[in-house]
Amino acid sequence: MRLSTRVAALCVGLFVSHHAAAAELPQRWVSAGGALSEWISALGGESKLVGVDTTSQHPESLKALPSIGYQRQLSAEGILSLRPQILVGTEEVGPPPVLSQVRSAGVQVELFSAQPDLPTLQGNLQHLGKLLGAEDQASQVFQIYQRQLDQQKIRVTRAQLKEKSPGVLLLLGHAGGKPLIAGKDTAADWLLQQAGGHNLATHTGYKPFSVESLVSLDPEMLVFADRALTGDAARAALFKENPILSSTRAAKDGRVMELDPTLLVGGLGPRLPAALEKLSDAFYPGSAGQ
Amino acid sequence: MTILVKPRALFVGLILLCVLAIWLSLALGPVSLPLFDTLRAALRLVGVPIAPDGLEQAELILGQIRLPRTLLGLAVGGVLALSGVAMQGLFRNPLADPGLVGVSSGAALGAAIAIVGGSVFGGLPESFGPYLLSLCAFLGGLGVTALVYRLGRRNGQTNVATMLLAGIALTALAGSAVGLFTYLADDATLRTLTFWNLGSLNGASYSRLWPLLLISAGVALWLPRRAKALNALLLGESEAGHLGIDVERLKRELVFCTALGVGAAVAAAGMIGFVGLVVPHLVRLLAGPDHRVLLPASVLAGASLLLFADLVARLALAPAELPIGIVTAFIGAPFFLYLLLRGRA
Repeated sequence: MRLSTRVAALCVGLFVSHHAAAAELPQRWVSAGGALSEWISALGGESKLVGVDTTSQHPESLKALPSIGYQRQLSAEGILSLRPQILVGTEEVGPPPVLSQVRSAGVQVELFSAQPDLPTLQGNLQHLGKLLGAEDQASQVFQIYQRQLDQQKIRVTRAQLKEKSPGVLLLLGHAGGKPLIAGKDTAADWLLQQAGGHNLATHTGYKPFSVESLVSLDPEMLVFADRALTGDAARAALFKENPILSSTRAAKDGRVMELDPTLLVGGLGPRLPAALEKLSDAFYPGSAGQ
Repeated sequence: MTILVKPRALFVGLILLCVLAIWLSLALGPVSLPLFDTLRAALRLVGVPIAPDGLEQAELILGQIRLPRTLLGLAVGGVLALSGVAMQGLFRNPLADPGLVGVSSGAALGAAIAIVGGSVFGGLPESFGPYLLSLCAFLGGLGVTALVYRLGRRNGQTNVATMLLAGIALTALAGSAVGLFTYLADDATLRTLTFWNLGSLNGASYSRLWPLLLISAGVALWLPRRAKALNALLLGESEAGHLGIDVERLKRELVFCTALGVGAAVAAAGMIGFVGLVVPHLVRLLAGPDHRVLLPASVLAGASLLLFADLVARLALAPAELPIGIVTAFIGAPFFLYLLLRGRA
């Protein structure tokens, strides 16, 4: 009985998918990309998601969906077992043979750029809106987003008239231990710049740092993103594992703040403007809340 | 060493096990296909004319996903186990594994160059890009092994002990080079590298499969012909020489077959540990050290073990997938321990 129900479900699934592709929009979505899943939810498509990858952590409810694994190590049969009509992901998804296998099974595969700039986001949102049948909503969401980022720029420019931009280091760590410092060409660097901070690290990528050079840079502000812990526990672990940090100006002035590490992957996400506002409020305490 | 199983019984058992593994590997997966559909699709794939109604899905999954994957598992498992026997015979040490002559670390270095360097030389043509990793891994494995072999030679003689030490030194050297690339890598390439080091049969496609199938078939046909020579080598190098074996040639062949076979396997599926070390052991514990049995039996056992491990890898976390290197060690090591302890009691 159970077997025959499955056959029936499979046949119906195939039947539906064949007909739906021509006339209707895809109804069963698999998303392999954190920011993309967030945008799909923001555009009201969360109920259409039947599976997400491990980078899709927001909104919280997505964690209840079946996980298709890491976006670069997808499994063709695993994805097909969710009977999706469409697979969306950033250009990082792979491996390539798996994508072509999924495609040849009749699943629409749509890839999006994860470039952190507004024109890319606009293109991505339009595309998603079309696929979700929510084009108006998508352009509305984009306009609001653009306005928020414009306001952010104004906020930073204004604040910089009154206050000096602080020298910042961003520490990415796991339960406090051996943090990596975010250098140039990282999403973290972009984030710090947008918030009006001056990244003191001049290397490229995320690299471990010797404590000495950390102290010699003497940051006025520390931002930390911890993958394992959050809140006070993460802060305590960071200072416990790296006691030298307490001697920096940032620690003495109590200018240490936390950042959600999921903001650092997958391009511009919907939570970004709020995070930027929080960052620049901390960078420019004299102009906060304006 | 006592023989627990007679060779004939062992072969019958292993062939049955291998057939079972192939069948399960084709029949099971995250997509639950009805048994009858699987059978009909399989018949269609081998050319039996059956009406294709409602079979598109089954045929696609069987023909394009599960069959190449099964073939890949068979070839990789078989050739890794076989190379393990060759290395343990060459070094006359049951702790030897294909990594000793540097083929694994060389392949890892090649892969690291391809993965990290590939993002630097981003301008590669689309069609070549996917093969760069496999090619680099293969050439890296071959290159480092050739160097190890060269270092072990003096006055026309290959000193196995020197080769072993040279292998250790070059493995360490390659390891530090991989470490350097790891340091240079960005987040995304780092994860690719990590996953590659754990191996996977995922995403097998025919275009990548053929070179491996040819090489592993060649190695699997050639090495068993040298079983008697390997048996003689067990007595010692000079003893084997007195028995009329061209020991230098045998060593050369063993190293070459291992480099070729493991290089191709690693290039196709990434690093899969444990199989090469332990499968020969398992077979030896069951059937004794005679290479005439050991070589072919290890092929069958290695292939079956890898297919079973792959089943776990693809089913345990479905729809996501585990790297197979985790599974081979996880199911193999306790089983090996059990055999060891039982042998002692």
